[in-house]
Amino acid sequence: MFFPLTFTRPPLRERPFFARRSVMAREREDILKDLSDSVLNMNLGLAVSTAREAIESGLDAFDAITNGLVVGMNKAGVLYEEEEYFVPELLICSDALYAALDILNPYLNREEGQAKIGCVIGVVEGDTHDIGKNLVKIMLDVAGFEIHDLGRNVPLANFVEKAKEVDAQLICLSTLMTTTMDEMATVIEMLKEEGIRDRFKVLLGGGPISQAFADRIGADGYADNAADAVRVAKELIARKPVTAART
Amino acid sequence: MQIPEDTQTSLERVLSYLQGVNPQRIACFPLILNHASRAINVPVSKCIQNAELFGKAHVAAYRRYGNDLITFLSSTSSLAEAMGQKMNFIEDDAPQLADPLVKQLEDIERVKIPDFSSDGRLPVYLGATEHAVAEVGHEVCVSTVLAGPFTTAAALRGADVFVRDLYNNKEWVHKLIELCCQAGLKFIDEILKRKSLPIVAEPIGSASLVSPRVFAEFVSPYLKRMSDRIHANGGGLPAVLHICGKTKPNWKPMRETDWDIWSLDAVDMAEARAFAGDRVTLVGNVTPANLLKNTPDEIDAEAKIICEKAIGSPRGFILGSGCEVPINTPPQNIDALINAARRYGRFDADDVVSPKGKSCC
Repeated sequence: MFFPLTFTRPPLRERPFFARRSVMAREREDILKDLSDSVLNMNLGLAVSTAREAIESGLDAFDAITNGLVVGMNKAGVLYEEEEYFVPELLICSDALYAALDILNPYLNREEGQAKIGCVIGVVEGDTHDIGKNLVKIMLDVAGFEIHDLGRNVPLANFVEKAKEVDAQLICLSTLMTTTMDEMATVIEMLKEEGIRDRFKVLLGGGPISQAFADRIGADGYADNAADAVRVAKELIARKPVTAART
Repeated sequence: MQIPEDTQTSLERVLSYLQGVNPQRIACFPLILNHASRAINVPVSKCIQNAELFGKAHVAAYRRYGNDLITFLSSTSSLAEAMGQKMNFIEDDAPQLADPLVKQLEDIERVKIPDFSSDGRLPVYLGATEHAVAEVGHEVCVSTVLAGPFTTAAALRGADVFVRDLYNNKEWVHKLIELCCQAGLKFIDEILKRKSLPIVAEPIGSASLVSPRVFAEFVSPYLKRMSDRIHANGGGLPAVLHICGKTKPNWKPMRETDWDIWSLDAVDMAEARAFAGDRVTLVGNVTPANLLKNTPDEIDAEAKIICEKAIGSPRGFILGSGCEVPINTPPQNIDALINAARRYGRFDADDVVSPKGKSCC
């Protein structure tokens, strides 16, 4: 069976037996730990060098990502919830994560992953504050959602169009401003008008948003922070009735 | 319930706090910023780009509502704007940051200490301040709000890159904040010259964004210099700091920067009161989005709970909004907020509701 990883490995006979054994015996655990720690400790240099090392030593890219990088990012998410880490720390952790992912992604066997849950995310029209949205995007990405980021100041119809186009299950709307919070209700109305409201779960977040506001405008969920967003998104998807796949 | 009438002027009420005596009733600071344009029926962008309109709008809003503080601010990027940052003006909303001025590290050379007579909208701010002080300065406290050095630096650099600089370019980021601090100190002097109260807003120092460690390293040293300047040149005026969002994790380093009055947003006022002790006067913190969305009765109920938590704080309590009163807030909701101060914050009679702390506001 052909693995895309194999061509990067030096042929076995070129590697001394003892070196090979010591490398392989030592490395999986150590490499995974270094990958995790590099993300958790915001060490971009270590993340990049360890990702390269993982490829060179023949570690499976999927293994390196899910049992290394993602573990570190999730630990960072816990520290964020515990108010040990704040926005800068989480962003720099994610910089290390994505730098390592850039190296590992080409070696991923795409078919070994499960089908991901599509998520459209963006800051609603009229607002350009996107740090919160970006944090939620990172944490949902790490949690295994397929992210379609529309950016900031997004025309409302784009949320609906993109969600239909990619057959998303989740639409995440963000705003920091009271002047733009009502745009979220408009997106929900648009979904209703098209008769496709039930196809999506709509999750809201941002400074002025509250659970009460989310309930009032008929959203499915509200999250107070990026870590919370993952929890709520997973709950919403778990509760979602299985609908026939779109043709 | 009957709303008792005020016989003190707004200024008398606010001065009571500084003199350490109880006012007739607690003061109320709804942070009316861009909403003031509604009082003269002009779009926000027009109001905030013209000194005369800006000044008239805030005087008109004061006359309409009787708020105890006039606050000149349209966005926390005004100082950055005068230092070279481009803004996008929006017809009926506050301006927003355009592309950051400081894209590359060497772009720090493009950042200038502003000329207060010509750069950005500083002349609009200062002209409007003069107008309001001349019109109503004898009866109400007029304030002019500037962003703190950390927030101004973030505006010049773009917040997402800026927060990374805190780790990746420490020395450099101190240089940028230093420039913003120097500009801010000058702004404070210009405001004081016009007999207005300088208020510093440092929203990027919120714990919604940065940790106590970052606050102590990058926010505190500069904020301390700003409060020192107000204490040195303000002729007895208090140093007033506003930080929106969550702030509790950063209260400790905040306290060390020596501000007399804290205007707080997403916090529990009972906890804030316990922390403030006899060092800090608290302002807050009806939820801004609720001012926009809730009914007057709901505003009254929320304000009542806040009063119950915070009245009795040794250095006093001022009812207010947690952050800017949303532009499209129904006027009756602002009335409800101020009436709540009249109802629940009285010190002048035994037969009116006065929860806790009769001894002091």
